[in-house]
Amino acid sequence: MPIDRRGFLASALAVPALGAPAVLGQAKPRVVVVGGGAGGATAAKYIARDSQGAVAVTLVEENETYQTCFHSNLYIGGFKSYDEILHRYDALAAKHGVTLARARATAIDRDRREVALATGERLPYDRLVVSPGIDLKYDSVPGWSKEAEEAMPHGWKPGRQTQLVRQRLDAVPDGGVIVMIAPPNPYRCPPGPYERASMFAHALKRAGKSKARIVILDAKESFSKQAAFLADWERHYGGMIEWLGPKVHDGITSVDPDTNNVVTGFETYSDCAFVNVIPAQMAGEIARSAGLAPAGGYCEIDPATMKSVADANVFVLGDACIAGDMPKSAFSANSQAKVAAMVVRSELTGSRAFPARYFNTCWSLVDTDDAIKVGGRYEPRDGKIAATETFVSRPGESDELRKQTQAENIDWYQAITADMFS
Amino acid sequence: MKDAITKDLRPVLRRTALVALSTLLAFATQAAAAADWELGQHLASECVACHQASGRRLEGIPAIVGLPTDQFVALMDAYSRKQRENTVMQAIASRLSPDEIEALAAYYGSLKAAD
Repeated sequence: MPIDRRGFLASALAVPALGAPAVLGQAKPRVVVVGGGAGGATAAKYIARDSQGAVAVTLVEENETYQTCFHSNLYIGGFKSYDEILHRYDALAAKHGVTLARARATAIDRDRREVALATGERLPYDRLVVSPGIDLKYDSVPGWSKEAEEAMPHGWKPGRQTQLVRQRLDAVPDGGVIVMIAPPNPYRCPPGPYERASMFAHALKRAGKSKARIVILDAKESFSKQAAFLADWERHYGGMIEWLGPKVHDGITSVDPDTNNVVTGFETYSDCAFVNVIPAQMAGEIARSAGLAPAGGYCEIDPATMKSVADANVFVLGDACIAGDMPKSAFSANSQAKVAAMVVRSELTGSRAFPARYFNTCWSLVDTDDAIKVGGRYEPRDGKIAATETFVSRPGESDELRKQTQAENIDWYQAITADMFS
Repeated sequence: MKDAITKDLRPVLRRTALVALSTLLAFATQAAAAADWELGQHLASECVACHQASGRRLEGIPAIVGLPTDQFVALMDAYSRKQRENTVMQAIASRLSPDEIEALAAYYGSLKAAD
């Protein structure tokens, strides 16, 4: 029976490793990474850099630049320029030897171990890292749709949407009402809507529009860093921000992109200056179509390895996966990518593996020199990634501590983007 | 008979045991030295999410590249006992074993900050 390379590799991989890496002695093993965000860029860099050329790594990403969603609220609030949240992939190729495939991944053939690109090219892999981020559920808010995302932008994916939110904010008149519809769990960046509301209030106040109001209609009864946010909103912005949980607003009945009206079970907001709809979310399409997530859901992973429970050759990172107690954040994705990279290298090159551990911190800016944070340390336990230590900013902390926390936030951004992209 | 053999073999056994022990110790020491640095390098992948790998000094998060080993250990000890403020570092330090802190200290101590 003739054995082609693929068959040989497959049988080699099927043999349990006895201290020896499964594919040593084969042609250079191939890793394909789908998605150049916080998870994918980190995984591609770490696998390529630490394997020192022993593994061929291809990063599939259709965009030439990457706009971080983290710190996009600081752009919206006027604390950062748009250029400051843009990054390029050049260093991953030039410094670490990652091959960049500038195309959209259209399908994953897990039986043949191939990724299909929009260009028609097919990339074979020995291990695949899937880090596609989220897709929006356009039908989760009555009256809202893909077509309505210009009139009522979400700003929950990078690029034009982020800029639209900033433009719409800048156009709000004094006395105008912004309605933000905040999503149900689980979603990208749990404190994000509340940091964004803070940035709305900051920008409006700074522009002399202190009579404007921001109403948050939340799908949840509670939210991340709630006590600190609520206390700080009162302290910095008086009554500008009003948060309403579902028991109070009684659900979103409808939104109308033509009139900018929002109707809840309790009241109607007419002629809003700006309606920011942040809808419910799910794993990116390519992960769902590859059978790594159920319809409308996220991808289940092995907490010790970040491998998909559906396929031992596939790793799922970041917002697309179910990471137990870890929130969907860039920091989480970066942390998960390092565990996946370690496991991939260990399997393909025989490098040493260590027990998986994860870390996350989410900083949120509330006003100038006032940031709060939440985070924790995580380990595989009881079949999930479980928190072993957690911390959260408390209301009433000193101005000095809050200023220091914002200095950390700024420095963290510099460090983690360097860790991902340079 | 059994006693005689045992008696005759005793010096040999002792010598063999000593050789084995010293060989084992040599291997263990080498392994520990190598493992420590490798473990430190691995654990450091968590640190670089906040502390710049370049060692560049910033305002809010201190540079740790090239930090003397004993100072590194003392700082982590202070964080783990919550004698130093910073909830992020307290959460990190309290979950690291003394061996892991030593490994990290050895790794960071061996690096040189870029100018």
